[in-house]
Amino acid sequence: MPDCAGGLVYPLIRKVDTVSSNSYLVQTPDVILLIDPGGLPEQAAHLADVVRGARNEKARPLLVILTHAHVDHFLAARSDPLLADPASTILAAQDYGADAIESADRMATMAELLGQVIPPMRIDLRLLAAGGERAGIPVWRTLPCGATVTGVQRPLESGLASEQIAVGNGPGIDIFHTPGHSPDSCCIRIGGLLFIGDLFFAASPGLAGIPGWNQEALLRSLAGIGELLSSGGIAAVCAGHGPVLTKDNALRMLKAVQGDTRRLNGIADLDPDRAIETAAFAEACMEQVNELFTVMAGRLYYVSHIMDELGEDEIAAGLHALIRGDVIDELVDSFAAFGHEFHSGRCMPIHLALKGGHVMGKLERSFNQRELAQIIDPTLVLRAEHLLGDYTTMLRGFSPPRNIADADLNLLLKACLEGHAAHSGSDEDVLASVDDPAAFGRMLLARIGTPPLLADVAVTFDTDSESLTVPVDRERLLDLITYLLEDLVGTGAHAITIHTGKDGDTPVVTISGAGCTARPGGGIPRRFLSGLCERAGGTLDSCEAAGSRQFTIRFVTVL
Amino acid sequence: MEITTVTRGNGTVLSLAGRIDTVAAPMLEQAINRVMESGSRKILLDFSGVSYISSGGLRVFLAAAKKLKGPGDRFGLCCLHADVLKIFRLAGFTSIFSIYETEGEALAGW
Repeated sequence: MPDCAGGLVYPLIRKVDTVSSNSYLVQTPDVILLIDPGGLPEQAAHLADVVRGARNEKARPLLVILTHAHVDHFLAARSDPLLADPASTILAAQDYGADAIESADRMATMAELLGQVIPPMRIDLRLLAAGGERAGIPVWRTLPCGATVTGVQRPLESGLASEQIAVGNGPGIDIFHTPGHSPDSCCIRIGGLLFIGDLFFAASPGLAGIPGWNQEALLRSLAGIGELLSSGGIAAVCAGHGPVLTKDNALRMLKAVQGDTRRLNGIADLDPDRAIETAAFAEACMEQVNELFTVMAGRLYYVSHIMDELGEDEIAAGLHALIRGDVIDELVDSFAAFGHEFHSGRCMPIHLALKGGHVMGKLERSFNQRELAQIIDPTLVLRAEHLLGDYTTMLRGFSPPRNIADADLNLLLKACLEGHAAHSGSDEDVLASVDDPAAFGRMLLARIGTPPLLADVAVTFDTDSESLTVPVDRERLLDLITYLLEDLVGTGAHAITIHTGKDGDTPVVTISGAGCTARPGGGIPRRFLSGLCERAGGTLDSCEAAGSRQFTIRFVTVL
Repeated sequence: MEITTVTRGNGTVLSLAGRIDTVAAPMLEQAINRVMESGSRKILLDFSGVSYISSGGLRVFLAAAKKLKGPGDRFGLCCLHADVLKIFRLAGFTSIFSIYETEGEALAGW
């Protein structure tokens, strides 16, 4: 333990999750300190064993200090008799957090969002208590366990309120008030170690905006801790989740979190309703992600197969590196399994929302967007990017983008249809590339990988209105039309008719396919497509009858 | 996933039921390989019980198609649900495999 005479630190580092935090036991000659007991009974039992072993060597009081009063950091405190024993253990929390724990406040402790049951718990020592004590004047308290605790609040240090406490002759423990993640969040310095709780996670998607979150306070806290780290004396930073950080890595991470926090202006509160909405969006997105990524991987396997048939083994093998089909399948399966847990009532909406963020983040890293878009249909890659980006935006606390501007529906649709009927690269481009083997190779791959969606389908476009200007999100609408055309072509349509017109004052687009394989249940559009249509500026309906399917998009009435 | 193997005329029909996901795909590959090792070179996969296919599943079918391209060999798929058919079509696989609406239609030509 750096700069702490006779101190030993026992870090209990867990795999990162929302169930329980890391715990850190610090053994000194006069007192045993436990930073965050975590959220699991088994974790508490393990920590209690270590404390018991230390006490066998020398009986000492145990001071449990919470970095903040969230259930994943404190709930284990009372699940083992040794940790809960008021005769030998002191439980300390910042004043606001102490109130939340003593009153079993479900919102402030995150019990509501994480679906935990919490009994009211007694806090022995309130840290940074407002009023009562004056800065610079030491206060002695003798606690029920017989230990004497000295506390002295100090003038602002690095812009942070702070207090130094000590148990008996034990080392000085500096408590810095660092609100932002929660009103009671604290960083704790013991010797050369700084325990920061969830400070570095406070701007993370799915955590920013939780009850008690405060952007301004967080920026002040980050600035203060940045100053503290830069001023020297701290060798390592112990986070509430994830590995212990060197001071330099912590400073780098802190700067990144500052940047992320500044970009969080106006985010939504992450309350239980928002968690339900985000979880539903995660499921809707994953339905489409599933199909989109399977098609992208399949399309690449197809190109690879053809190249293999042509004897181009090396090119065929190289293509597999552009998309990690095995990783994608595993991610999709893991989300499906998690969704099953959720619908069985075994986890909360926030867990599903966070799982969605985790899966989509990994999916984003599992395919080479730039190179893939040069081989397979670039609209597939672009839609995958939009989809993953929209979900991340939602999880970060914002609404998915919606750039509404007036557009002529007829022109937009005609351009879309022409794009889906044309080959990748013109015939002239192909002929021009013949003398350059590399260029010809690229052209060949794109030709094989990007067959025109509407190549084998008879397409008819007709309209009742020559000009139909409506407010739409152009990009989202084009994505939607492509998804709908793919649905018809993919299920076997041999003829597609697109009609634009008005139903009264309401602009309407219908897209009908003939010869489609029927879907059981009548082919109700996926939730994702309905949501996408709303973001594009319309509403989507569909109907299906005897080999034909029709999608109807209604737009805002233009008066 | 459940795989039922039945000999019909001079072909072998594998009826598949369940999801062709990361767990089922290797299972299916082994089943197809076993049929080929037993000497059958005309294989039809009946998809009427399949509601989902992963990219790993698509890979298994490509591998089978590659092995069954000799003279007299046949490899076909039948009875695909709309959403499974959609994946095959959009991935471009319909130009590699013969896809039939019914088992009877497939076997009639074999």
